[in-house]
Amino acid sequence: MWFIIPVLGLILGVYLGSAVTFQLPAIYLKYMSIAVLASLDSVFGGIRSIMEEKFDGTILLTGFFTNALLAALLTYLGDRLGVDLYYAAVFAFGVRLFQNLAAIRHHFLTRLRNKRQVKQGESNE
Amino acid sequence: MSNKRWYLPITVVFLFLGIMLSLQFQAQTRVASDLTQQRTETLITMVRGLSEKRQKLALEIIDLGNQLRSQMESSQDEQKMLQSISQETEKLNIVNGTTEQKGPGLTITIEDYMPIVYTDLLNIVNELWNAGAEAIAINEHRITQHTTISYTETHATTEREAVFDDYYVMFITVNHQIINYPIIISAIGDPNNLEKGLTLPGGIMDNLALFNAYPLINKEEKLTIPAVEAPHTHYFVKEYNPETEKLKSSNETETKQKKP
Repeated sequence: MWFIIPVLGLILGVYLGSAVTFQLPAIYLKYMSIAVLASLDSVFGGIRSIMEEKFDGTILLTGFFTNALLAALLTYLGDRLGVDLYYAAVFAFGVRLFQNLAAIRHHFLTRLRNKRQVKQGESNE
Repeated sequence: MSNKRWYLPITVVFLFLGIMLSLQFQAQTRVASDLTQQRTETLITMVRGLSEKRQKLALEIIDLGNQLRSQMESSQDEQKMLQSISQETEKLNIVNGTTEQKGPGLTITIEDYMPIVYTDLLNIVNELWNAGAEAIAINEHRITQHTTISYTETHATTEREAVFDDYYVMFITVNHQIINYPIIISAIGDPNNLEKGLTLPGGIMDNLALFNAYPLINKEEKLTIPAVEAPHTHYFVKEYNPETEKLKSSNETETKQKKP
């Protein structure tokens, strides 16, 4: 049951977020959304790296925060400059997100198949 | 698997992700529920519903206004009733002599040299009532339906009193209290009517004149007639009340039924 503690962390985070009375001003909604997208991408990347057994905690943590911050900052900068970098960020992180998800799925499938083959081999013997 | 290494970072990351997600979710729902973000159809239905609600509320206002008015009217009725009751009490007070009364009228003064007995006083009082007097007093004794006018005989205490027969002297009493001279009968009413009633040819004054008694009649513009000293209490006369009678009779029948 190795995934229970992170799930508990997620639930706790959601609870904290809803319990906090702080309300995000509507102007920053756009930047917050892009930051959330970036952090989601990082999280899935982390899960993928666990699957591939080349997980590095420092990379994940730094990636999580810097990605989110940079995405928000870049979007802000784009707004200042009159270039809609928002869509670029959405596109980039969206593509990476789906790639990560696909990779996770692939790993799950290969693992399942491996297990079955092992079982079949055992029964064959 | 090298479990311990990735536990902590993933949990931290998930924690922050949760916070961010819920914050974003809240903000987004807030924006979505904003009126400017609504579709025209929903806005139309909202407007319709609200206007219906408003109409209902307006009807309720009218309804409540009507209720208020009816309540006010009923309270006015009650006030009227109260007024009529207080008027009734006033009348009863006049009749029963429980309050001091003021008004125009006349006084009849009888000095002690006038040969007058208590029946003459009775006749004068009767004549005054007849002539429309509204309140009568004899020497500060209010005359009501319970007043007794009578006489008493006592031993003479002074020689002046003993002028008449055998050291006994007769006193006129009102409510069993001796009336001292000069006897002043005061009556509230129309002074002219009262005077006419008394000085009718062949009336009480003519009768008294036969005995050489000439009481003085004075018309007064302002007379004060005192209240009775002790209001009369009823012990045996009870008001008839059908409800209580019924209750009593039913109680009696019940007890009768229980006995056997």
